Amino acid sequence: MLIFSVFKTLTDQRVTVELKNDLSISGVLKSVDQFLNIRLDSIRVLDEARHPHMMAVKNCFIRGSVVRYVTLPAEHVDTQLLEDATRREAATQVKR
Amino acid sequence: MDPSSSIQEPFDLIRLSLSERVFVKLRGDRELTGVLHAYDGHMNLILSDVEETIMIVDVAEGAPEGQGTVNVAKRKMEMLFVRGDGVILVSPPSRT
Amino acid sequence: MASLQGYVDRRVLLILQDGRAIVGVMAGFDQKSNVVLSDSKERVYSIDEGVEEIPLGLYLVKGDMIVLIGEIDDTLDKAVDLSTIHAEPIPPIRY
Repeated sequence: MLIFSVFKTLTDQRVTVELKNDLSISGVLKSVDQFLNIRLDSIRVLDEARHPHMMAVKNCFIRGSVVRYVTLPAEHVDTQLLEDATRREAATQVKR
Repeated sequence: MDPSSSIQEPFDLIRLSLSERVFVKLRGDRELTGVLHAYDGHMNLILSDVEETIMIVDVAEGAPEGQGTVNVAKRKMEMLFVRGDGVILVSPPSRT
Repeated sequence: MASLQGYVDRRVLLILQDGRAIVGVMAGFDQKSNVVLSDSKERVYSIDEGVEEIPLGLYLVKGDMIVLIGEIDDTLDKAVDLSTIHAEPIPPIRY
């Protein structure tokens, strides 16, 4: 839930999603769901010369399970807030 | 109080590493170091000031098994989300 | 769902776990992101030859197999002569 909320706060920011097939796609984050499936707008594939497959694609839906990394815009991430929220969530999950 | 006494379960070790530099080993011969800001029960992570190391083993043709050369590629990322399913281990900062 | 709703009746590109690329019109989807494509074709990429399109017709793709679904801009797509595109196939999913 925590990470899902973080992504929601980054809506309309440009992120780069690196997939487990080594494709990297940068785009504007339009939406995210509980599975961390991601909708991106105005996408650009890094190293487009090698990967022309998505030339005519301007927006896409990425399945959360195939994501390796997402590089986030650091200036829009409040790290103190994140750490506090993580400690709070960890505290609620002690008794499982 | 002995700080180790507050460690009851594995995730406590990660919780105590919040806002510290951690070492993360990932599937696909990848390693990261970075400052930990958030995690969840899937071991999804958010790290800043990240350095990624990728080990690429080149086994030359005809070379005996285990005689490949290892190439190392490094990359830096300012703020990174790491999907938990690729995480093998998270190690707290060394106290030396 | 981060919603596939906007893609219904649109021409889409599906990239699958094994690296295949399939284009078609999205006829429908469900919660598990299983997808039905009509008038679908596989686009086979290779370095030595241009892209080959293999007609598949009506196709159901299991959600687990899907990596990515992209909306195709028809004007952009028609402007590309696929027979001139030489590229490696998309790698399969590994860690």
